[in-house]
Amino acid sequence: MNRDGDNLADLVAQARAGELEAFEQLYRSHQGGIYAFIKHQVGEAELAADLTQQTFVRAWQSLPRLRKLGAFRAWLHRIAANLVRDEMKSGRARLEVLATSLGESDPIAHSPGLVGDWPEEAVLSEELRGAVRLALASLVPEQRAVVVMHHLEGMPVAEIAEALRVRPGTVMSRLARARAAMRECLGPYVEGNDE
Amino acid sequence: MSKCDRIRRELAYYAIGALGGRSRRRVEAHLRACPSCRAELVALERTGALLEKVGPESAPDDWHMVKGTIEAAQLHRRAPRLRWGWAMGAAALLILVVGALVWRPIVKTPAPTIVSITQADDEMRASLEGHLAAVWAAPLADEAAVGLRMADLEGEG
Repeated sequence: MNRDGDNLADLVAQARAGELEAFEQLYRSHQGGIYAFIKHQVGEAELAADLTQQTFVRAWQSLPRLRKLGAFRAWLHRIAANLVRDEMKSGRARLEVLATSLGESDPIAHSPGLVGDWPEEAVLSEELRGAVRLALASLVPEQRAVVVMHHLEGMPVAEIAEALRVRPGTVMSRLARARAAMRECLGPYVEGNDE
Repeated sequence: MSKCDRIRRELAYYAIGALGGRSRRRVEAHLRACPSCRAELVALERTGALLEKVGPESAPDDWHMVKGTIEAAQLHRRAPRLRWGWAMGAAALLILVVGALVWRPIVKTPAPTIVSITQADDEMRASLEGHLAAVWAAPLADEAAVGLRMADLEGEG
């Protein structure tokens, strides 16, 4: 385990011993990722904030049962995923996809959506950022979950597999299908003239 | 199905590094010869790059809400213990009070005897003996005190 991992495990151990200050540090470092994960599943910001709070409260209450201290992030996502699933069952949560689809816009009339050149130096325009979010929203929930965890939160495939209790191969397969679906959705934004 | 179609079914897997061995080599061989599939690979890679750039949305800082809920839950868990403690204390106090009330009549108060008043002078002693005799005869009447007073008057006469 590296230094960050040691630090994380120490914080988790302290929180498990009842130190609320240590838990606050864990909240601060993981709250953004958990919120993004939930928000992309339920769509509504207010509900996402509510479920994020519930995730951390439940995590605090369940900390004594956490076995692998270093797997805190995956465990936290599992709690969040369970809460999201319960919300979906209750019917309160629904992902609202905007009526406007990319197909209805006129990509030829727009700039490529990138300020600067491909690839690394580019900064996303608001329009392209919206297009990517729309493409994300169009994915099926299982694919969207792994894309958010992998691309937006930077979680490795093995950690995602642990969080969702699936095989790493399943995660890879969902990532690949999601990539193909999003490429279709983003169409003109990602097609280049360099070939 | 054309060769390009078959390759493109695997291209997203290739783009994310999920292909290995023979499949990977087959795709790479095709890509070297096919500009159209190379362009498709570029589009897939750009899709991934766009996702990396979007990043997570800014999340609201609700720590005070989380902390408040945790502390309220802890207080709620402690509360029954506190009430149980008070109940135990009250029960103990009740047992003591009832015990004292029940025990008190059982313990006999020593009856006043002549021996207990040996320090009184003879006159007082005689008076008290007369009073005790009157009380013994009529414990519930004031006649005892009246009789005692009459005896005193007769003595003086």
